Amino acid sequence: MRNGDGHLGLRAQGVSVTLGGRTVLRDVSLEAHPGEVLALLGPNGAGKSTLLKALAGLLPYEGHVEIADADVASLSSRARAKRISYVPQRSLLRSALSVEEVVALGRYVHGGSFGGMSKNDRDAINHALQTAHADVLRDRIFTQLSVGEQQRVLLARALASDAPILLLDEPTAALDVGEGMAVLRLIRTLAARKHTLIVVLHDLADALSTTDRALLLKDGRVVEQGRTGDVVSPEPIRSVYGVKLIENARIGFAPDTGTE
Amino acid sequence: MRLYPLLFLLLLVAGALAVLVGSGDLTDPELRDTFLKLRGYRLAAAFLAGAALAVGGVVVQGLFRNPLASPSVLGTTAGASFGGQVALLTYGLAGVGGSFVVPEMTVPIGCFIGALASLAVLLLFLRVTQDLLALLLTGFVLSALFLSLSAFVTSVAQETWELGRAVVSFSLGSVSGTGPRQLAFALPLIAVALVACWFWGRSLDLLLSGEEEAQSMGANVGAVRWWSAIWVSVLVAGAVSVGGNVGFVGLVVPHMLRPFAGTKHQRLIPAAALAGGVFLVACDIIARVIPSRSEIPLGVVTGLIGAPLFLLLLIRLRRERAYA
Repeated sequence: MRNGDGHLGLRAQGVSVTLGGRTVLRDVSLEAHPGEVLALLGPNGAGKSTLLKALAGLLPYEGHVEIADADVASLSSRARAKRISYVPQRSLLRSALSVEEVVALGRYVHGGSFGGMSKNDRDAINHALQTAHADVLRDRIFTQLSVGEQQRVLLARALASDAPILLLDEPTAALDVGEGMAVLRLIRTLAARKHTLIVVLHDLADALSTTDRALLLKDGRVVEQGRTGDVVSPEPIRSVYGVKLIENARIGFAPDTGTE
Repeated sequence: MRLYPLLFLLLLVAGALAVLVGSGDLTDPELRDTFLKLRGYRLAAAFLAGAALAVGGVVVQGLFRNPLASPSVLGTTAGASFGGQVALLTYGLAGVGGSFVVPEMTVPIGCFIGALASLAVLLLFLRVTQDLLALLLTGFVLSALFLSLSAFVTSVAQETWELGRAVVSFSLGSVSGTGPRQLAFALPLIAVALVACWFWGRSLDLLLSGEEEAQSMGANVGAVRWWSAIWVSVLVAGAVSVGGNVGFVGLVVPHMLRPFAGTKHQRLIPAAALAGGVFLVACDIIARVIPSRSEIPLGVVTGLIGAPLFLLLLIRLRRERAYA
């Protein structure tokens, strides 16, 4: 799955997750390639975030997740974090760290246990802040930022780790239209730089505008998989969400009346 | 970097006062050397215990993501104190370990086991629930449990008058009777644990964002939690073995330092070691100068300063984030 220049893709085969005796994800297989954005779609409770966490190695799972023919489960947390970066919907950070300090946390996998920052570290932090348009926030306290600003900082933290594979959990949820657009544009920029991106999205219009391929989940199973334009089409959408897809200049939804 | 010059200055002042202030008469040439020596040990004991407890506070606050945590609030100090008493009692009654472990070492080992047992309960319990109130309540229950166990040990120890006296004076907490042999054991323990805590500092920074995020950023969360707990237990054991059960240092000192030293652990830990040492030396001077028929225990002074601060912090935190 290596594609020159250290660009890595990710392949999952037969991934199942059981939480508290309940199977929340059953036999999911997918492939994500460098330079491409894969959307994980589905109604609430379909298992999108669970799948993302399993891919990030944050949940125990059955099956295989491979990067460049190495099984993710066999990697140490450090080795895994060098390859895969996971961006939560919201950070649980409550302490008064500055934005720069938060982004510097992303360099943990590259540092020793000693405090100093190398030039490499500082360059990576600066670059990440610029890419995520968060350099103006550098000295602000993370917890005092708006949700949208926090999301950009979390993306910068992920970028600072130099991990080629990025997993984003609903990066546009709770953002206003402007903030959301900025994050979606950033996702395209990262794809153009040959990152591999897997993104949980709620908004199907966002998925259509931003992602290349999509995986549609319902009740922990894959219902449809392919080009986003094909997945977000009337039949799968009706069967998964119970709504009728109306294609106009914009995408919109209406209750399913059972008539085509 | 104006923080460190200030802390060193305070250390000098406190150190000088600690040697000069006291009930003994320094003008008597025969007694002067003895007084100075005793005050020197006392100064060293207070500084070591203060440094250890303050850094212990910083680490448990990071570990539990809670600014109200500290070794005394969580019951770690009470656990260590109980462990130390049990060690004293077993050694005194049966001479257990007497042949292969010197007595100065049995107490710190007992303290360490007690402290780690107490922290282990919290770590295991908080896998399930993770909120401020649950943490504080569990800490409170642990403290109460270890205090009543200590009372039991104390009553058993009364069978021998000398042993009873030793156990009681140990549980009261004071640096006044600390001798060179106890210091010689506590110093390397505390020094190594301080360095080890600093070493885990970067991982503790990650843990501030919660376990899942820390893990996703490459931290081995299990290792961070248990190793931090082990080193905090060493710190508390070292502190309790030279100073007894002294509370609130780990709460007061990190809280006073954060505005100057920030939140990052590798900056906070060395500053807390220094400031904690200064703080406890200062408290010990207060304990000596307050007029009283017998000397006020050190734990009373730190408690009088720490308890109100704890309540203030609790009120402020509740306002800020409604228990979150």
